[in-house]
Amino acid sequence: MNSASDLRRLLFLIALLLAIVATAILVGVTFGASGAGLRTLFGSDPTARRIVMGIRLPRVLLAALEGAALAVAGLTFQTLLRNPLADPFILGVSGGAASGAAVGIALGIARRHPAAIPLLSFAGACGATAAVFLLARRRRGVDPIRLILSGLVLNSFFSAIILVSLSLSPNSDLTVAFRWMIGNLAGASWNDVIVLAVSLAVALVVLVWIANDLRLFSFGEEDASGRGVAVERVKLAGYATASLLTGAAVAVSGIIGFVGLLVPHLVRMAWRRDYRHLLPLSALAGAALVVTSDVVSRTIAPPLELPIGALTAFLGVPFFLLLLRRET
Amino acid sequence: MLQLDRISFSYGGGTLAIDGVTLRFEPGELVALTGPNGSGKSTLLKCAARVLVPQSGSIRLDDQESRQWLPKAYARAVGYLPQNPEPVVPIRAIDVVVSGRAPWLGRFSWESARDYEEAERALRLCDAAHLAERYLDEMSGGERKRIFLARVLAGEPRLILLDEPLTALDVAHVQQLAALLRQVVERTTATVIFSSHELNWSAAYADRMLVMNRGRVVMDGRPREVMTPEVMRDAFGFDAEAVTTAGRTWIVPRV
Repeated sequence: MNSASDLRRLLFLIALLLAIVATAILVGVTFGASGAGLRTLFGSDPTARRIVMGIRLPRVLLAALEGAALAVAGLTFQTLLRNPLADPFILGVSGGAASGAAVGIALGIARRHPAAIPLLSFAGACGATAAVFLLARRRRGVDPIRLILSGLVLNSFFSAIILVSLSLSPNSDLTVAFRWMIGNLAGASWNDVIVLAVSLAVALVVLVWIANDLRLFSFGEEDASGRGVAVERVKLAGYATASLLTGAAVAVSGIIGFVGLLVPHLVRMAWRRDYRHLLPLSALAGAALVVTSDVVSRTIAPPLELPIGALTAFLGVPFFLLLLRRET
Repeated sequence: MLQLDRISFSYGGGTLAIDGVTLRFEPGELVALTGPNGSGKSTLLKCAARVLVPQSGSIRLDDQESRQWLPKAYARAVGYLPQNPEPVVPIRAIDVVVSGRAPWLGRFSWESARDYEEAERALRLCDAAHLAERYLDEMSGGERKRIFLARVLAGEPRLILLDEPLTALDVAHVQQLAALLRQVVERTTATVIFSSHELNWSAAYADRMLVMNRGRVVMDGRPREVMTPEVMRDAFGFDAEAVTTAGRTWIVPRV
């Protein structure tokens, strides 16, 4: 066993996942309620073109970015907290992000400055990360069960904030609140794609920068510190980045839960290695999962569309229970 | 090589976990750090490893303040093993051991063939080469301890700090591991400081024994100077007899 064969295997898995993501994107762009087939993709019909370029392509790309962002956020939370059950949704960080956006909408900030929504989501995500961390902290590190319970309580609190602020907002419409609380990719725009792509790019730069430090967290913070890791700085950068990813992901599509829980575990089943391997693999596998789920949610009962957050919950909840059984 | 000068540490106010400790360690020593529970052994090792920063006093490695060392450079010189390192996800032994090379890696670099060679050498030294491909969660406590010791050795430190490496092992494994610490000192000329409650085993293998009590070092000497009924009563709080056989002194609790 040496690093050269490791690297070959990593590159092979990356290539395989890229191919899966590309296929999923192609399928996602091809199939839809308004007709399917490659003809719509390469044909000269202007309506079909508009549907593909203006509606399906941004939506499918947004799904890919969403999956990558949530999977990487989940992986990073799991690594920093040393808790395999951590996920942006379970920890309440997604809820915090959605609350930030909902408060912004209620106060009318969103109408005057649409660009404020991602910033408010990010602020909400950071606040929720800090809150769940402080609630779960013990003298010696973070208690895993307290962490999950704190996330549960925070989620109820944030749901209340979302419902209250959106029902008090001018021309209140509870379907808007519903859209924030259970993720939805319908109506994706190129603007959304750009917001999430830029956030993901920034986050990946930071995470690649600290990847060699993060992998040393697997034996605890004291152990990492003993290996020469500047623990406090890496934690700050890691939590901020995971919050940024969650905030941006929620800002463009509402809360899509369990992706951050499912994907890193599925990747670990294929290859139990450290953070440096899991980072690119989780990003790609997350993209593949959410694009595929989106295609399923659009085509399972046309012309109706399932909210994608419901679909990921159907997948994620049994998985969570399975993990809980194994861990405790 | 390591010099602690009147260091004190407290966990958020209250009583001092370390209370003005001054110690000096030379290359090639095998030092046993003993004392009752809560006497400050772990805290002292963490301060020496730079995991904790004492509120007062100075720690100098090679005549340079430990805080002035770059974290990675310090980690190359000093290998620290916490009390119970528990991985949260399944991991292979070789991956654990090669992660001991981390202080030698650049920010974006991966372990090279040479790092794997060092890891395998460390595994052989710990008599654990056959465990390389096994997963940690499938191992016994004794095997795990050897893997973690190999991980520290893979980093080629000159000073090795081990927090209770002998706990939770059966007698045969305690003996094996204590003998292994002796071998490490002899083969690598590193200084090894380990904390332990195993007084007799520590005395049998260490060159020097320290006894801590309430954050202070109350005894510092050769094993036979420490292994007396008086020290056991005053520092550890139990009545004991010293039994000498074959030139070695053993402490036997009085029942």
